[in-house]
Amino acid sequence: MTTEQETPQSTQPKRPGRTDGVMTEFTVFTKIKPEEADALREDLAAMSSQGDARQAMEQIGTLHSARHVMFDNGTRHMFASVFDGSWDSYIDDFAKTAVGERFERVFRHTEGFPGIKDPNVKDWFAAQQQTAGVFATAYPDLTVQQVWKDQRVNQAFQEVLDTPEFRAALDNPANAALLATPAFQKLLNEAQG
Amino acid sequence: MSEAASTSGPGVSVEIDDIQSGALHARPSPYVGRFFLLRIDDRHAGRAMLGRMLPATEGGLPTVNPDQGAWVTVALTFQGLRALGVPQESLDSFPPEFQQGMAARAEHLGDTGESDPAQWEKPFGTPDVHMGIVALAPDAERLQKALEHERAALQETPGVEIIWQQEVHQLPGGRTSFGFRDGISHPGIEGVGSGTNPHEAPLKAGEFILGYPDETGNLPPMPQPEVLGRNGTYLAVRKLHTKVAAWRQYLRSNSSSPEEEGLLGAKMVGRWPSGAPLTLSPDHDDEALGADPHRNNAFGYKENDDRGLKCPAGAHIRRINPRDATIVGATRLHRIIRRGTSYGPPLPEGVLEDDGADRGLIGVFIGAHLDRQFEFIKSEWVEDGNFIGFSGEKDPVAGHHDGTGTMTVPAKPVRRRLQNLPSFVVTRGGEYCFLPSLSALRWLSELKG
Repeated sequence: MTTEQETPQSTQPKRPGRTDGVMTEFTVFTKIKPEEADALREDLAAMSSQGDARQAMEQIGTLHSARHVMFDNGTRHMFASVFDGSWDSYIDDFAKTAVGERFERVFRHTEGFPGIKDPNVKDWFAAQQQTAGVFATAYPDLTVQQVWKDQRVNQAFQEVLDTPEFRAALDNPANAALLATPAFQKLLNEAQG
Repeated sequence: MSEAASTSGPGVSVEIDDIQSGALHARPSPYVGRFFLLRIDDRHAGRAMLGRMLPATEGGLPTVNPDQGAWVTVALTFQGLRALGVPQESLDSFPPEFQQGMAARAEHLGDTGESDPAQWEKPFGTPDVHMGIVALAPDAERLQKALEHERAALQETPGVEIIWQQEVHQLPGGRTSFGFRDGISHPGIEGVGSGTNPHEAPLKAGEFILGYPDETGNLPPMPQPEVLGRNGTYLAVRKLHTKVAAWRQYLRSNSSSPEEEGLLGAKMVGRWPSGAPLTLSPDHDDEALGADPHRNNAFGYKENDDRGLKCPAGAHIRRINPRDATIVGATRLHRIIRRGTSYGPPLPEGVLEDDGADRGLIGVFIGAHLDRQFEFIKSEWVEDGNFIGFSGEKDPVAGHHDGTGTMTVPAKPVRRRLQNLPSFVVTRGGEYCFLPSLSALRWLSELKG
């Protein structure tokens, strides 16, 4: 079937990778250099601190999830990730952040990696990339930025619901017109539990 | 190229005299100019034409007062390089987006709907566009003089034909057709000259000129052989029609007083009509600030306006140059030189009905990386808003909206959200051009076979 090949390319003018809504999956398979499996394992262990990873992801702002997996007895490595938009638009930007250092630290153990700051690094990644057969996400319309915003808004909303002053305001007849609007009814619907 | 003619910056010596003046020279003000597109029917004729144009094509320092001189710039499309008989190996060394051309990149760039290349003014987007010539001067007399050479060269060169031309000129008051002062912001470049924003460190020369290290620490990918690529750069040239009546109608119908109308326009642009930036003058226009080149671009966002309460993050000038604001990504990798020139008559002040006239600007965007400069800015910063946390929102002025566009205008206690934005700008055509160095023009003119 040619359509399987063409669909992602027609929606993604630049690189392969399947999309769902605003997101693109980006999965790379590489060969680990001989004798470097232990070194990679140690680097991954050192990088597995959630705090550092989270900080790196905050810096990127478009990465939903990422995992590094070693397999085939330590001879191969998979990097699987989900980005907003296309991953390669921002690859030069990543190289300038803590994410660049993390990429460098992992992929230096894999064969042929030119270095995260090399101008040909996009082509190298694309050559190692395999496009997913199926890619689906539970929230296809939401970018990382929106998920963070939504989380902040909900936390603030819940705090408002906890204040007695808010309960009193709902009972105040002066606010009846506001309460009657469909938009506010939607908000109250979410406030019920 | 003599050693003495090089200018020095930290760690870099730029061969400024080999770079066409049109690459780095700021636009004069006032200005008149003319854009030409040409077709090369015979490669020998094309080479001869380049050879005849060489004496009229200047290189040199852009720090010379731009209001003094006039200059002619010669650029080539990928099809033009082919028409000149540039060897295949060399053609293959150009970046893919340049080889494809702007029309082929339309979907990525958001040139869809009424901006779709199928609707473009001919010959834009066709394989006939081979060469672009731009002449800019402070007045008509100097423009004519600058063009004499081109006219003579064309007369002597059958086999090269002008297939399109456009006259451009400064509108009264130095404003765009929308009524805002433009041409204010220029980046500083190491080894070349300082920019208009003292808060922005000069960018590496390789962001704008091939053959020098760029902001990533690498040399930009450069077409081969070296004599062809070095000291060259790329232009994205666009003819942008502006819907001035629709713009005025939108402002009128979304405000309740002339003052509100003025503020709404400023919130969408990021500057007041005088050029005064909202960040420095958030509540009213300030003619003196707008006219002062030492102050009208001397600002950042982070310290005093990161939330965008003064200048919205979605405002046109903040999108296309976010400066030090908090965004997704690194601003310095996506800077560009912008040179806008107006065409067509202004819509008389106060008129809200479209008079059917074609007006707008010819925008020239200059940088060494089409993909991470012009294309990135257009696709990520103009046609989307995720980088500022407003996914799906577009540039309220330059974005291609379908009548359902929104823009968040931060305010206390509650933000305002503009709704139902139509397109105020339509792409009428565009081309990617390579702007060769003087040495490269000579090399091209002397090609054999």
